[in-house]
Amino acid sequence: MAFKGALVIDTEKCKGCAVCITGCPNKCIALSKKVNAKGYNYLELVDENACVGCASCAVICPDGVIEVYRVKE
Amino acid sequence: MAKELKLLKGNQAIAEAAIRCGCDGYFGYPITPQSEVLEHLMAERPYLTTGMVVLQAESEAASINMVYGGAATGKKVMTSSSSPGISLMQEGLSYIAGAELPALCVNVVRGGPGLGTIQPSQSDYFQTTKGGGHGDYRLITLAPASVQEMYDFVKLGFDLAFKYRNPAIILSDGVIGQVMEKVEVDDYIPRRTNEEIAKECPWAAMGKPASRGHNIVTSLELEALKQEKINDRIQAKYRECEEKEARHEAIHCDDAEYIFVAYGSAARICQKAVELARAEGIKVGLIRPITLWPFPTKAIREIGGRMKKILSVEMSAGQMIEDIKLAVDCKVPVEHFGRYGGVIPTPIEVLEALKKLINK
Repeated sequence: MAFKGALVIDTEKCKGCAVCITGCPNKCIALSKKVNAKGYNYLELVDENACVGCASCAVICPDGVIEVYRVKE
Repeated sequence: MAKELKLLKGNQAIAEAAIRCGCDGYFGYPITPQSEVLEHLMAERPYLTTGMVVLQAESEAASINMVYGGAATGKKVMTSSSSPGISLMQEGLSYIAGAELPALCVNVVRGGPGLGTIQPSQSDYFQTTKGGGHGDYRLITLAPASVQEMYDFVKLGFDLAFKYRNPAIILSDGVIGQVMEKVEVDDYIPRRTNEEIAKECPWAAMGKPASRGHNIVTSLELEALKQEKINDRIQAKYRECEEKEARHEAIHCDDAEYIFVAYGSAARICQKAVELARAEGIKVGLIRPITLWPFPTKAIREIGGRMKKILSVEMSAGQMIEDIKLAVDCKVPVEHFGRYGGVIPTPIEVLEALKKLINK
């Protein structure tokens, strides 16, 4: 039984601290080359097939910027 | 009835608690990792609801002097900063203590010394408990280890500050300030009226009525014998505070042969290390000081005195360890384990350090 995950990221609130990236077990997230209105490189889901919806990123985010959705496969 | 629950960062919890406990004014300055205290206060705009003043001063030195002024009128006032900013406030804190005024300060500690890093550490223990400012004064020091305690200690800090007419400080760190946890929040306590303040603080400068003499708030007394009497009075308050207000938490100490002593986020890490150690059959416990001044000397003497060895775990080069050694009269070996400069130790590192100590 595996999960497939999807993320909703508040890109305007994200401050690009990258603590979530060190927490992700599957290397599916990274900081974008683009910036938000405050000038921070915000988080992006770069490999949606690798995301299993473990929510490590969301739990560790110091600003609660990430929402994790998952379905059973 | 169940309390309202909120998901907050530690820094936001400080701001939320200030508004809800009837704080009259916050005067502060941004610095990582505590800027969210000021930002949350600005976002909530309590000046439109409770009438609480929220002011970003031009500097940390200005902030603490605004707190001094507000405190002199009996108002519940506070500020917050982080390590190098707190250094800038030391003179002000000494003045507030010397003038015997209540006030609350919050230090969300970052790596130092100097401008340091923005990552967490616990290297301001000496500054906070041994007096970073000049003179014979102490700061009533509360050390939260969770976002709930960040919230709870604002009201507690103010209550202790007013009880003893002395500044109180919440000594947090960049982990507790930044993590998000569930917090049970209380209903809003209204800010005190002028009549209530005059009753609670008969010493406050509130405009002299005909019924009393002038209330002069100052820390200056040029006649040495009078200044000594003032110090006697302040010292008596500190003895009473040491007698009554020391707080700590003891985890798994009943059958322990070794203990960790740690506060704040280091205590959270040690809690996990206790679990890991016990799973391997090591009988270790944890004492978590909740007040760093007054230090829970009695509890550490009682519990620590029964131990074979004690490991002090701090995110510093070793500061609280001195108070632990004093508490056990140096009769039990006490060693330090820590990471510093903003590095956070893992529970496994702490466990390894314990094993090394046991096998020494």
